[in-house]
Amino acid sequence: MNGTFGHTGVLLGFAAAVAGVAVIAVGLARGRASTLRSGRLYAPLVLVGGVVALVAMEHALVIHDFSLAYVADNNSRATPLLYSFTGLWSALAGSILLWGVVLGGYATAMVWRFRRRSADELVAWATLVVYVVAAFFFGLMLGPADPFRHVAGAVPTVGLGPNTLLQNNPLVLIHPPMLYLGVVGFTLPFAFAVASLITGRLDDDWQGETRRWTLFAWAFLTMGILLGAWWSYQVLGWGGFWGWDPVENAALLPWLVGTAYLHSVMVQQRRGLLRIWNLSLVVAAFSLTILGTFLTRSGVIQSVHSFSNSTIGPLLLGFFGLVLVTGVGLIAWRGDRLRSPGGIDSPVSREGAFLANNLLFVAFACVVLLGTVFPLLYEALGGGQVAVGAPYFNRFFVPVGLGLLFLMAVAPALPWRKTSVETMRGRLAAPAAAGVAVVAVCVLAGVHGIEPLLAFGLGAFAAGSAVRALVLSVRGAWRGARSSGTAPVRSVLAGWRGLVGRANGGMVVHVGVVVIAVGLAAATSFLHRGELHLARGKSGTFAGHTVTFVGTRNVVSPSHSALEAVLRVDGGGVFRPALSTFGAGSTPVGTPAIDSGWRDDVYLTITSIPDTGGVWTFGVVEQPLVMWLWIGAGLVAAGSVLSAIPGRRRRPTDPVSAPSAGADRPAVPRGGGGAAGGDTVPGHRRESGADPVPVGAGDPP
Amino acid sequence: MTIRKFPLWSVLAVVLVVALVVGSGVLRSAPPSASQRALAIESVVRCPSCEDLSVATSSAPTALTVRSTVRQLIAEGRTDQQVKDYLVARYGPAIVLEPPASGWSLLVWLLPLLGGLVATAAVAGVLVRRRHAVDAGPAGGDGTEPLDGAALEERRRFLRLSLADADAEYLAGDLSDKDYLALRHRDMLRLAALELRTAEVNGADAVSPTRDVIVADPLVGAGGSAPGGRSGATADRAPAGPAGQEVAPASKRGRRSRRSRWYLGGAVAAFGAALVVGVSLFATNRLPGQTPTGSVSLTQDQLVAQSLTRAAALENQGQAGQAAQLYQSVLDGHPSNEVALAQLGWLEYQTGRSGGSASLIGDARAKLNQAVRLDPGDPAARLYLGTVLWQRDGNAVAAAEQYRRFLADGPPPAIVDQAAPLVRQVYQAVGLPVPPQVAGS
Amino acid sequence: MGPEGGAPARHTARWVGIAVLAVAAGLVAVLATRPPAAVSEVQSPLVGKPAPSVAGTTVTGAHYSLDPAPGRYTVVNFFASWCEPCQTEGPDLVRFQFEHQSAGDASMVSVIFDDTVGAARDYQAQLGATWPTLADPGGRLALSFGVRAPPSTFVIAPDGRVVAYIVAPVSASDLDKIIADARATNP
Repeated sequence: MNGTFGHTGVLLGFAAAVAGVAVIAVGLARGRASTLRSGRLYAPLVLVGGVVALVAMEHALVIHDFSLAYVADNNSRATPLLYSFTGLWSALAGSILLWGVVLGGYATAMVWRFRRRSADELVAWATLVVYVVAAFFFGLMLGPADPFRHVAGAVPTVGLGPNTLLQNNPLVLIHPPMLYLGVVGFTLPFAFAVASLITGRLDDDWQGETRRWTLFAWAFLTMGILLGAWWSYQVLGWGGFWGWDPVENAALLPWLVGTAYLHSVMVQQRRGLLRIWNLSLVVAAFSLTILGTFLTRSGVIQSVHSFSNSTIGPLLLGFFGLVLVTGVGLIAWRGDRLRSPGGIDSPVSREGAFLANNLLFVAFACVVLLGTVFPLLYEALGGGQVAVGAPYFNRFFVPVGLGLLFLMAVAPALPWRKTSVETMRGRLAAPAAAGVAVVAVCVLAGVHGIEPLLAFGLGAFAAGSAVRALVLSVRGAWRGARSSGTAPVRSVLAGWRGLVGRANGGMVVHVGVVVIAVGLAAATSFLHRGELHLARGKSGTFAGHTVTFVGTRNVVSPSHSALEAVLRVDGGGVFRPALSTFGAGSTPVGTPAIDSGWRDDVYLTITSIPDTGGVWTFGVVEQPLVMWLWIGAGLVAAGSVLSAIPGRRRRPTDPVSAPSAGADRPAVPRGGGGAAGGDTVPGHRRESGADPVPVGAGDPP
Repeated sequence: MTIRKFPLWSVLAVVLVVALVVGSGVLRSAPPSASQRALAIESVVRCPSCEDLSVATSSAPTALTVRSTVRQLIAEGRTDQQVKDYLVARYGPAIVLEPPASGWSLLVWLLPLLGGLVATAAVAGVLVRRRHAVDAGPAGGDGTEPLDGAALEERRRFLRLSLADADAEYLAGDLSDKDYLALRHRDMLRLAALELRTAEVNGADAVSPTRDVIVADPLVGAGGSAPGGRSGATADRAPAGPAGQEVAPASKRGRRSRRSRWYLGGAVAAFGAALVVGVSLFATNRLPGQTPTGSVSLTQDQLVAQSLTRAAALENQGQAGQAAQLYQSVLDGHPSNEVALAQLGWLEYQTGRSGGSASLIGDARAKLNQAVRLDPGDPAARLYLGTVLWQRDGNAVAAAEQYRRFLADGPPPAIVDQAAPLVRQVYQAVGLPVPPQVAGS
Repeated sequence: MGPEGGAPARHTARWVGIAVLAVAAGLVAVLATRPPAAVSEVQSPLVGKPAPSVAGTTVTGAHYSLDPAPGRYTVVNFFASWCEPCQTEGPDLVRFQFEHQSAGDASMVSVIFDDTVGAARDYQAQLGATWPTLADPGGRLALSFGVRAPPSTFVIAPDGRVVAYIVAPVSASDLDKIIADARATNP
């Protein structure tokens, strides 16, 4: 029953995508607008097909319909409702289904947004590309990754249940969908890039749209990655949040390239430069999502995250090749003729800083990619086995990260085109003083180690720079409102406008990134790891914390049984690390318990339980400022939302004679704005027409 | 401000260096203790029964065993490398999380370094080449590449945006006076060169790309009043213009020169305006980065300068009407502002010529005369006045005198280059020796 | 439109694009020819080298030490009671031991890997294993053999060299074949 519905949905999605490709191709070949317009109708059908399949699968999981092999493998009668629900993305076939549904959603949002321009050649090509990608993923579900395959032989009465690590923490409910929203979201920028290369139109249309969709995807991917780090910390039991695992790297790669793009596209929008470079970044980001999916899903690389091996490897690899040949081939074919005129005036300018930022991000992406696939290359070269792990990546990550912090400090104060020493001296004085002061205070407080000191100092420098930009723009908005005769109270409220918009939201994101960087530096540099051997009722101290072993208790639920140790930290709260067993005969997994605080976290795990005698061994990890990571993640999320709210179209200080919306470009140089205000001008300058739709809002009002 | 008096940056640098030296522990450098050595090894040795964790981070039993073995081997007096070798001999090379820097796996270390170097060099090379190209040829190309009308149009658009950009940055206090003038000067030069190029291309294949409507009329008329005409390949190659245009062969040439002259005028205007803005802002004690707008009340001079810059930008973008309005508004408040007088006079003259309005031309002449009186050293006003005298009255002698004063006032080379053919013409007409500045090709 | 007109003077994008595609083609070729990680055999640097000494206390409290005997191969099996693949290979190991016990040309010894002595002893008893099972406190033996996960099986030749390493459930016929091969190459 569920299988029939599911298959119907998948088939519908696939047929709709193929039909969409065909219709648009015919429309483009014949140049018929009515045909092109009808091409948009297939996107909602793809979505409907995907949703039908999704509902069928969720229904099957929730009612434990073991006639489906996927359900039998990833569900059991005892699995609680929450983890039955999340079973959809706990293995390969279901993940592909989720991918298809998300892509259907994006496709529908896209055709809805361009419903009035669907006859436009560029939009038609972009839609065509999205349909091709959708056809591929729905095609996978028809063949090698069929989530609705029936079990061979008799229907089993018990299922195997989900991977134990995936039924241990409710974060699995949001972390994977976020990640998919991000990863799949890179399809649309890629589609626009291909379309604009084919049509040769690199104008406002595509850059505005591509930036919008990329920001959308980027924000979800960022959240997905950070939630993933949080999940690792809460579940995996080793006290870390990032292990440079191939799966983590696979998500990080498009993020790095996407971040580079979000910065360099500003150079294009403001100065008309770096067009081909930006196209290349968009193509790279999407290709890397496919390559990452291949690396983590085909089983060529072993990883703690590779929850399944499968036969779809060759297909994904072929698709990666197709994407790359299409994207890079188009760039090679047309790139030289689409190059922007003019160049960068001075390396010490905003453009120059963005260029340096791109260099660092892309270089680091190359390092991550190389490190991830190197064991395979090495083996292919006949070198045998080799491991590339955290020490390798960190060796490059630390200097790149410090360099990025420095750029984050300097770039927001840099003007476009060119700058002078006096300008920078004045603008950077306070942030630089803050940075040096932080270093000095840290040294006086006994902090040692060149890397954390640099990280703290540059972090304060960068945060100072970002806060300075925010203060200027908030003050500008407030004063602007006041000078235009708004009541005092309301003009203070108007200062809020100084926090929204791309540039200002971006600065909030910067503050969040700095907070994360400081937390990361502190947690990894000043961590204490050890063991406590405690008998019941005894206490031990570790890194300034007293841990008391109060007792144990057994917890049994239908889905799992756990042996918990009850520990009291510093005489206060009670924490219960546990050994949990999900289903009979499975290996017990440790569940950590974490005493989180503003200053530091105490991370407790059960290391060993004695055969005889009463002395238990507990793993203890004390890390400072871990909380900052999650606070920083919140700030990044808030900043992303703020960037999506449209900034002001016009500054109150603009002269009355300035042409308003509708003009291709305002002829008058904007008189208003301070340093940060200067940033908000370019965003509007070249956006054709009145188009205040923010990122995140799919529909124009 | 205090920044000037207090040597902030030196103090910061000293404090930073001292703090980092103290904090890095260079001063009390001691050989690492046994447990520090053990920790360093443990963090690069993979936990045998895990995938990606080091034994330092894992609490798996195999990791515990490796940890105690490492400590025992160190206690026995083995070196770090010997400890690693001991483990590699048992578990294989993949037990170390860092690939060895030898053999094929040296690649994993060298490739990023090489790649980084190549990428940095490529970016630096692009920057340097671009800058040379800018100096050598028009519009950022190398000057030799074949360009069609559309490509030229695109470059033109880019340059105009760049100019507007510089204005915006400057007004926001982001560009220093010096940089602003240098950038503006260079972009103007490029724009002017580009115009010549466009004229060539249009002359060659008679393709006229769509472009902004330039309201104003030519500096040099349809050639009728300039009997000498411009010599050179462009004039010779010019085919007949499209049917329906009044003065067929000459109008092409006229339009060509008209455009380049128009930019010449724009360049002069912008130069003048920028000079005024620069001086007036320099005279005030605005701090770097401080915005001159918002609630900061502008001084009258600043307001005037701002209006003039905007007007110049408008003029550049072909919005002559709006530019004229702005100039007029400046004159309403400051009837004797010579820059506004000269520019408005120039605009009026052009409009008057195209509309055949003698009264407007008379008005223009009065304004230009007044501007010259008010500031005898303003090259722009001299240039405009000379051109009016030559084109309108055919008075080569008077025109030559104005041009002489124009050259004597030391105008920027970009403008001189643009004005050169006209000046030569006039000098030759009166039989004076052509001054060296304009003798060029 | 721009792209239709004049040929560009420089072809940077073309050459960089071609280079990127060439590198990517190489990468895809490597990835396409890699076997799945699970299948690829884990190599042990010990194969071909003298085996570490196998000595210790058995679960019954007796002392055990592997002494080379002419013509006798020894199978060292690392296992845990919680390890499912170990349960798969258990009966085969019992059969192998039974077949070679009388001939005396091969013997078995098991080593506990990451398990409690009690659980391992019960497991071996239930399986019917009569050969010595070493408790490995602190995992010293496992480390000296470079064992990562159970089940891991080593075959040691009469001269004390390691001739094979298997990280997967083995069958009696696998072991027979390995020993036959070793005898053929090194009589």
